[in-house]
Amino acid sequence: MVAAAQHSVPVTVLTGYLGAGKTTLLNRILTHEHGKKVAVIVNEFGEVGIDNQLVIDADEEIFEMNNGCICCTVRGDLIRIIGNLMKRRDKFDHLVIETTGLADPAPVIQTFFVDDEVQTQASLDAVVTVVDAAHITQHWEADEALEQIAFADVILLNKVDLVTEEALVALEQRIRGMNAIATIYRTRDAEIAMDSILGVNAFDLGNALKIDPEFLNETAHEHDETVASIALTEPGTVDGDKLNQWLGELLRDRGPDIFRMKGILNIKGEDCRFVFQGVHMLFEGRQDRPWRPDETRKNELVFIGRNLEEMGLEKAFRACLVGGEF
Amino acid sequence: MPKPLLNLTWQTLLADYVTALAWSPDGSRLAGCSAAGEVVVFDARTGASMALQDKQGLSVDAIAFSADGKFLAAAGQAGTVSIWQMAADSAELSAKLLTQLENPRVWVDCLRWHPYQPELAFNLGRYVQVWDAVEQSVIATPAFETSSVLDLAWHPSGDYLTLSGNLSVKTWRRDDGYNAPEIRETGGASGAIAISPDGQYLASGNNDRTLLVWEWDNPYPWQMQGFPAKVRQLAWSTVQPQGGSPLLAAACADGVVVWAKAKDADERWTSHVLDLHSAPVTAVAFQPQSTLLATAAEDSWVCLWQQSTQAAQILEGAADGFSTLAWSPQGKYLATGGCGGEVMVWGKVMTGKGFG
Ligand SMILES: [Zn+2]
Repeated sequence: MVAAAQHSVPVTVLTGYLGAGKTTLLNRILTHEHGKKVAVIVNEFGEVGIDNQLVIDADEEIFEMNNGCICCTVRGDLIRIIGNLMKRRDKFDHLVIETTGLADPAPVIQTFFVDDEVQTQASLDAVVTVVDAAHITQHWEADEALEQIAFADVILLNKVDLVTEEALVALEQRIRGMNAIATIYRTRDAEIAMDSILGVNAFDLGNALKIDPEFLNETAHEHDETVASIALTEPGTVDGDKLNQWLGELLRDRGPDIFRMKGILNIKGEDCRFVFQGVHMLFEGRQDRPWRPDETRKNELVFIGRNLEEMGLEKAFRACLVGGEF
Repeated sequence: MPKPLLNLTWQTLLADYVTALAWSPDGSRLAGCSAAGEVVVFDARTGASMALQDKQGLSVDAIAFSADGKFLAAAGQAGTVSIWQMAADSAELSAKLLTQLENPRVWVDCLRWHPYQPELAFNLGRYVQVWDAVEQSVIATPAFETSSVLDLAWHPSGDYLTLSGNLSVKTWRRDDGYNAPEIRETGGASGAIAISPDGQYLASGNNDRTLLVWEWDNPYPWQMQGFPAKVRQLAWSTVQPQGGSPLLAAACADGVVVWAKAKDADERWTSHVLDLHSAPVTAVAFQPQSTLLATAAEDSWVCLWQQSTQAAQILEGAADGFSTLAWSPQGKYLATGGCGGEVMVWGKVMTGKGFG
């Protein structure tokens, strides 16, 4: 992603099924942002909207940008709306995009990765997914439900008052297995501290990669679900050329199945950390801060996607390490 | 840099970002609209103005005079297409509001008059309405169907209307009642189209970082690649400096690429990059009957390129960047719009004659 301009407007993406508590959360955000100029892009006019805030009704319109590749898509409606909104002298302070329960979050995220016009004006803060703890079990068969969890940076397990503690723990484990980087909160009535979902900077490459320690501690993950996370932590130094070649091939061949990835790498000959992230076939990486003297240099990578087991990620990554150094 | 080509003739300020500027066909009047919703008509020479619509919160995004200069149309985020009848006396700025077509919950950001009839085409989501301004009735509603209409253009002959959107460009014949369109495929979404003034070529700027150019009667396009981002703006020259094809300017991110078709047998298109802007280019336009190219950008510069090659002059005066520009049809004036509401009209520098 091209470095966004200083005055770039933060964007929060809200996903989740109808009835999960999305609208309640949206109204909480709007109340919290009272006095600021917030534009809300919704798919149906609901009971949202407070003074000073603009509610825009949008059709979720998917545009291709790579000759039919299903994972290289952007949201045409967002490009048009953001371009138009940012012309105003009194520009917006915050943009909230609510997607329908049936929407794939990927084109929304990809829009902020590839459209240069959008990039100069707005930057993704976080994808927040509201999950109905009581009803999600009915939706495990649906791709959208899995994708919304897989793409999330923050997950609200809402309506926890309607399920048993036992069921909640199992649900959390299942979600954690799918998405090892999201922060999960238990909520009732979508009640959450606003700094947990706003100003998260989840797409800022400079931010530390946070793999849930519980995910790493668990010895055996149940990878029977089609959507899962794989985290790799390896000492040693990486051969930059080998890594490039591997990731290039992986994204080209398996891009549609890789939803998100993030990583911090110790590249041979570099004093700085290399940080990267990806969404489907889109990849961005850059040099980060120098390794601190007291820091153990290591490589951490997280993949979230479908059928990851069969991609042999761990073996392939190890083959990119400089031999004999670990 | 060489001697200046243009001088500032007059300037004024609208309440917000100038979204579009349009000249009357005789060049006597300039119309402008803003993100604050204003619609204003100016006298080209003096800058005297008349507000046809005050600011109203929602942006007006498109404005155009009909080919005979009798009508002015404007539309924007309110979904309202307003059509005014201009006074017959070109010195008179006032206009009578004739029609307001309401289209709730639709942003109308693209409108074009037929090249010689009082027929107005404008986008309404996934279709276009063609409106007869004299009869005040709908002529046709060609539907793009597969996506929103992103741009539209009349063929200079007036016989065809072309719409662009996701994955294709579709052309309807006017004389068969806008029946089945001819479809040209594009690799991504076509965000900008332009038909050359001689009617020979159709160009499409696409979000897959390509530019496609078709000969009007040929289904197979030339594909131009190597753009760093989506191709946002297109302009054709009216003149054909190479003796065959007009020049095509394509704006992409901070750069502008000028294409010309080589005269040799294999008819390749060759290009050069105009690389002076340091922020996204918002508009490109050739001076009528000339190869002088004007490019506006958010870096607060309008650059004038002699023969579409050499930077000849830089115009300044919009601190937050330039948003749009338009040459008067006779090429006498260049109007520029700014992101902060600046409207500036530049005229040709008169060089002293009889002294040398
Ligand atoms: Zn792809």
